[in-house]
Amino acid sequence: MKKWLLIAGATLVLAGCGNSNAEDGSDFPNKNIEIVAPASPGGGWDLTARSVQKALQDNDLVTENINVQNKPGGGGEVGWKYLEKKDAHTLAVNSSLVITNNLLGTSELTHEQFTPLAILSTEWLSIAVAPDSPYSNIEELMNAIKEDPKSIKIGVGPALGNNDHLSLVQLAGEYGIDAKDLNFLVYEGGGDVVTALLGGHVDFVTTSMSEVKEQHLAGKLKILGISAEEREEDLEDVPTYQEQGVDMVFPHWRGIMGPPGMTEEEIAYWDEQLAAMAETELWQEIVENNDWESYYMNSEETSAFLKEQTAMYKGLVEDAGMGQ
Amino acid sequence: MDAFIEGLTTSLQPINIMWIVIGGFLGTVVGMLPGLGPATAVAVLIPVTFGMDPVSALILMAAIYYGAMYGGSRSSILLNTPGDGSAIAATFDGYPMARQGKAGEAMALSAVASFVGGIMAVFGFILLAQPLANFALRFGPAEYFLLMLLTLSAIVSLSMGKMVKGFIAMSLGLLIGTIGIDTQSGVYRFTFGITELSEGLDFLIVIIGIYALGEVLFNFLTIDEDSKKERKKVGKIWFTKDQWKRSLMPMLRSGPLGFIIGVLPGAGGTIASMLSYSSEKQISKKPEEFGKGAPEGLAAPESANNAASVGAMIPLLTMGIPGSGTTAVMLGALIMLGIRPGPLLFENQPETVWTLVNSMFIGNVALVIINIVLVGLLVKILDTPAKILYPLIVMLAFIGTYTLSYTAFDFFLLILFGYFGLVMKILDFPLAPLILAAIVGGDMEQNFRMALASSNGSLGIFFGSGVSIALFVLIILSLCYPLIVKAFQRRKAEPTS
Repeated sequence: MKKWLLIAGATLVLAGCGNSNAEDGSDFPNKNIEIVAPASPGGGWDLTARSVQKALQDNDLVTENINVQNKPGGGGEVGWKYLEKKDAHTLAVNSSLVITNNLLGTSELTHEQFTPLAILSTEWLSIAVAPDSPYSNIEELMNAIKEDPKSIKIGVGPALGNNDHLSLVQLAGEYGIDAKDLNFLVYEGGGDVVTALLGGHVDFVTTSMSEVKEQHLAGKLKILGISAEEREEDLEDVPTYQEQGVDMVFPHWRGIMGPPGMTEEEIAYWDEQLAAMAETELWQEIVENNDWESYYMNSEETSAFLKEQTAMYKGLVEDAGMGQ
Repeated sequence: MDAFIEGLTTSLQPINIMWIVIGGFLGTVVGMLPGLGPATAVAVLIPVTFGMDPVSALILMAAIYYGAMYGGSRSSILLNTPGDGSAIAATFDGYPMARQGKAGEAMALSAVASFVGGIMAVFGFILLAQPLANFALRFGPAEYFLLMLLTLSAIVSLSMGKMVKGFIAMSLGLLIGTIGIDTQSGVYRFTFGITELSEGLDFLIVIIGIYALGEVLFNFLTIDEDSKKERKKVGKIWFTKDQWKRSLMPMLRSGPLGFIIGVLPGAGGTIASMLSYSSEKQISKKPEEFGKGAPEGLAAPESANNAASVGAMIPLLTMGIPGSGTTAVMLGALIMLGIRPGPLLFENQPETVWTLVNSMFIGNVALVIINIVLVGLLVKILDTPAKILYPLIVMLAFIGTYTLSYTAFDFFLLILFGYFGLVMKILDFPLAPLILAAIVGGDMEQNFRMALASSNGSLGIFFGSGVSIALFVLIILSLCYPLIVKAFQRRKAEPTS
C-alpha cells in the first residue's frame, strides 16, 4: 500500500513539473483538459471522446491530464449547454445533431454558438434487406416504394430526424418519393433495427454500415448500397449509391468543438494537436476497429463544412415534414 | 470441440482466473450499491481494458455482469433497497426473511440459487446458443408487447388482497414511463420544457428514490417504535435443510426460464425474475407464505436473473446485438479492442467464445464462494445503529443517482420519488407494480404501436404467430389463476361447513 502511495505521490510531483514547464512557453493549456461526451458511456460519442483522450495522452500530444465527462440528455443538448459556460480547456464531441436539433425544434442551441475545432471521423450509412428479399438493388426497392409506399415497412432507430432517417429521405427524394408517405417503424437503437430485419419484421432498414456489415459478410443480410464516395475495402461487392445512379454522398460524421469565444491562440493550439493526433497510428487503429473512416478537417474547414451541412439538413428536414 | 478445449485452457490461465475473480468481486460490490450497476462499472473500466488482451477484457466484463447479479440481492435482503430492476424480486421474500432474523440464511440461499441458475445457463449456452438466437428473432413487436403485458399482469395478480391498489400503482408507473420524447412520432410528452426530461426518467432513479430513500424516510417515522422492538439475533449463515428442500425445484425451474428470457434482446433480468417469482407463487402449495419470507420466493428469482445475464450474452455474441444496457456497453468496448461480436465470431474466433463460456463456469464457482464468505461480513450491517446506517444509505443513493447521468437535476427527481415512496408506504400501496410498469411501460407502448403500424392497424397481429398465442394463453391464465384458486378453496371448504 505504502509503495502505491509513493508511486502516486511521485506521479503527482512529475505531473506538477510538466505543468510548470508548459507555463514557461505559453500559458495555454494550464490545467486539466475535459472532453465532454454528451451521451452515456458506450455509444459513438462516448467512444470518440475516449479515443481522443487516449490518442492525445498516449502520444504525449497533451501533457495535461485529460478527463472524459459524460453528460447525456436531450440528444447532446445537456452536454453542449455545459460546454457553453466553460473555457478553452473543455471540448465537446459533436455530430450533425448539433445542426438538426435546432432545425427539428428540439433545441435553441446552434453550432454557431460554439467554436468549431475539427471533424474527426465519419461512418457511412447503408440500406440493407433480407437475403431472400425480392429487391436486389436500390432502384428496384425505390420503384416498389413508389408504387405502394405503405406496403413497405422500414426499420429505423432510435429516432426520426437522425441521419439514418434523413439519408433515406434524401435517397427517396432523388426518386421522386414524398418522404412523408414512408412507413417507418422506429426502434430503440441500431441493434434492434438489425434484429427486426433478421427476424423478418421489417422489409428493409436504413442504418450505419457498421451495424450490418458482419451480417452481410455472414450472408444473413444483404446490403444494397452505401452512402460513401467509394466502395469499402472489405465490402467489395457492395456498390455505393452514386454507382447506382443517385448523386449523393452522406457522411455520418463526428467532430469536436470548443466553448464560445476562444482566442486565436487557443484555436491554433487545438488545431495543431488534433491534426497531429489524426495522423498517429493509434488513432488510425481505433478508427479502423470501429469501422469509422478518417475524415479530418481543421477548424477553418470545419466552419465552412458546418455551414454547408446546415443548408442541406434544412432542406431534408423540410422534405421529411419535420420542419419547425 | 478443439476450440472448446482451447477455450478451457485459456480460461484456466492464472491471469484469466485472476480477471474472473476481480471482475466477479467488483460486480458483487457494484451490484450491492444502489444505482451503481454493472453498466457503469464496465464503462468505467473501458480505458483500463485498452491495454489488455481482448479475450481477458471480455472475461472481465462478463464477470462484472453476472457478479452484479449475485451482489444485487444483498441490499434487497438486508435493507429492502434493490440496486437494480433485477434485484426487486429479492425484496419480496428476502427482506421478510431478514426481518425474521434469517438474513444470513437468505444471503447464503440466494448465492447458491444464483449459482444454480448461472451453471444451468452456461450449459444451456453450450448446447443451445445458435438455435435460441434464431428463436429470439421470431419475437417481433407484437410478441414483445405480449411478453411485457404478461409480466405486468403477473405482478398485479401478485398483489392479492390489494388488487385495486396494485392497479393504481401500476397505472402510475405506466404514466411515468410515458415521460420523454415519443420515438414513433417525435412528440415530447410531460417534459414541461425541461431538457433533462426529454429522454425520459431513468427507472433507476425511480427505484432508488422509492425504495432506498423511501425506506429511510419511512424508518424515520417509525424509528422510535422500531428501536424498542427487540431485534431478532442474526442466527446462522447457512440455510436449513428444509429451506433447501423447498427451494431446490423452484431454482431448477427458474434457471431455464430466466435463461430463455435473457436471450430475448431487451427483456433481461427484471422480467425474468418477476415471471419466475409469480409463476412459482402460482404453482406453490403454500402461496400464502410468499411475501412473508418463503425461501423459494427468494431462490427462484435469484436463479432466474443470473441465468438471464448468461443468456444475454447469446444475442451479443451470435448476432452482435446487445440485449441489455450492460451488453451494449460491452459491445462498444469489444469493438474498440478489435473483437467484433456477430455471426462470424463463432466461425472465425470460436476459441474466444468458448473461453468466455468456460470463464463463466469458473466465475460462477468463484462467485458462490466469494458471496458465501461475504455473508458473515454483510450481516453485520444489520447491527449498525440506525443513525449511522440511514445517512449512509442516503449518501449512497445520491452518489448512485449522480453516476447515472452526472447531473444534479436528478437529485430533485430522487427526492421527489423518495417522498412519493414514503406516501405509498404509509398508504400501504405495493411498490413493485409501479416500478415494473415504469421499467417496461415505455417499451410496451412503443412495441404495441409498432405492431399496429406494421399490420396497418389490424389487431390480428397479436394472434398472428404461435409465440403470441402461447403468450396470450399465459396472460389469461395468470389473470384468472387467483379466481380459480378461490373457486377451488370454496369447494374444498364447503363440505366442512
